[in-house]
Amino acid sequence: MLLRIFAFAYRNWIFAKRNFFAFFELLFWPVVGLISVGLMGGFLKLTPELLNFVLTGAITAGTLQVIQLDVAYGLLYDVWSKSLKHTFLSPVSHLDFLAGSWVIGIIRGAIVFALMTGFSGYAFEFSLPSAGYTAAFFTGISLSALIIGMLVNLLVMLYGQRVEITAWAFASLIMLICGIYYPVSQLPVAVQFFSKLIPLTYFMEYFRLGYGFTPVYTNLLLKGFGLCALYIILLYTLLNVAYKRSRKTGMILRLSE
Amino acid sequence: MGKYAIKAENVSKTFKQGVFKPKYTEALTGITLSVKYGEIFGLLGPNGAGKTTLLNILSSQLLPNKGNVSILGLDTNTMHMPDLKKLKMRINMCSGNPNFPWSLTVYEVLKFYSMLYGCGPFACSNIIEENIELFELEKYRNIRYDRLSMGTKQRLALAKSLLNEPEILFLDEPTIGLDPDIARKIRLRIAEINKKKKITIVLTTHYMKEAEQLCGRIAFIRDGRIKAIGTKKQLEKLTNKKNLEEVFLNLAS
Repeated sequence: MLLRIFAFAYRNWIFAKRNFFAFFELLFWPVVGLISVGLMGGFLKLTPELLNFVLTGAITAGTLQVIQLDVAYGLLYDVWSKSLKHTFLSPVSHLDFLAGSWVIGIIRGAIVFALMTGFSGYAFEFSLPSAGYTAAFFTGISLSALIIGMLVNLLVMLYGQRVEITAWAFASLIMLICGIYYPVSQLPVAVQFFSKLIPLTYFMEYFRLGYGFTPVYTNLLLKGFGLCALYIILLYTLLNVAYKRSRKTGMILRLSE
Repeated sequence: MGKYAIKAENVSKTFKQGVFKPKYTEALTGITLSVKYGEIFGLLGPNGAGKTTLLNILSSQLLPNKGNVSILGLDTNTMHMPDLKKLKMRINMCSGNPNFPWSLTVYEVLKFYSMLYGCGPFACSNIIEENIELFELEKYRNIRYDRLSMGTKQRLALAKSLLNEPEILFLDEPTIGLDPDIARKIRLRIAEINKKKKITIVLTTHYMKEAEQLCGRIAFIRDGRIKAIGTKKQLEKLTNKKNLEEVFLNLAS
């Protein structure tokens, strides 16, 4: 199993290394987003605490997007190459390609996270809270990205290439609901119900707790990691069901034509 | 071990398209055939006859709506994931117009798929090299897949299909769209593999020459049904024709 996980990590790594769009994902979009938010904070004369608050959002957005894209690419590279049937003809499981892609996602995400925090510190005097907060937060982002990537994979397995746009759309939608640049309490009450169902909401609140902000919710890490475990198990089961269904409908074969 | 590597009994497949006003396309109806260990079995028929659908069912990638398929003694309909993974270790496939990850070089494609078959990055180098040599891929070793010619892509697809030393090899129109000299070379390689490694081969084609040269027995398919099955001589006798091309025209009309 480890060899198969390594195989997917190896393939994703080569794609990331050789394709120009990977550079844009890693540096261009995250840094452009960060500079925009930082400059806006300066214009609005935000206090250092509030500037940290919004910059945290920009760093989260960049990191989450990169990791979840890598997980989604685990399947999408095969869909775009039309080689999916060869991959599924070999004795692979969803765990193999999810884990292999996620590993590369975490490496690329850690690079983005380090670059963005470093640049924010240099340009906008941003500082990280203690290592404990940072480690738990990065783990939370990585797990949230895995969940989004798994959801994208599930939809592609069920509905084909026409839903690949979700690879870019889901992360943005989730960030909107989980209070990326504002406390969740600013959202309409009905939307706050959905915020409670998203693990990233709790991880962001936890990280901002490190800057002294009062969280809206309690037991942040317990709820965050608990929801992650629940969604990962649920999505993994659904992916297996979707694979069985695709053997009946021929979806994998259609995605290889 | 029984006599047959593959057995299909009364296999039917219908595809459904659309949700609210679904359309049903009957791709295969009542297919019954068996493939002996070590033989090259051909599926011959015009475009859209159902050859590829049948090959996908025989290779466990697609499940039939009706009927049973047994591959290497294992029933694919009732098989659970661990058994399916074990079966996949013993079979492989090569398609005409092959597709692999575009950014990977020839060597990397072979390395990636060999790892998927559980071969370590160092342990598998022997089998990769053996296939690079067998399919004359040495000078393309470091060329990216998207920069290869059609013939080279096809040879790479064949090399990939032998990485796990399969007991059954499925070939879906392996020489489609190739120049005659390359197609000839590939046919020679297929015959060589079958002879040397005793691999059971099931191949689809609509080239008579290919079927004549390679296949011990042939099933002629039209409109998702088997019209005739047998050796070349048996088919010629059955239709009272002199060669396979005439048999094809007779059965296709």
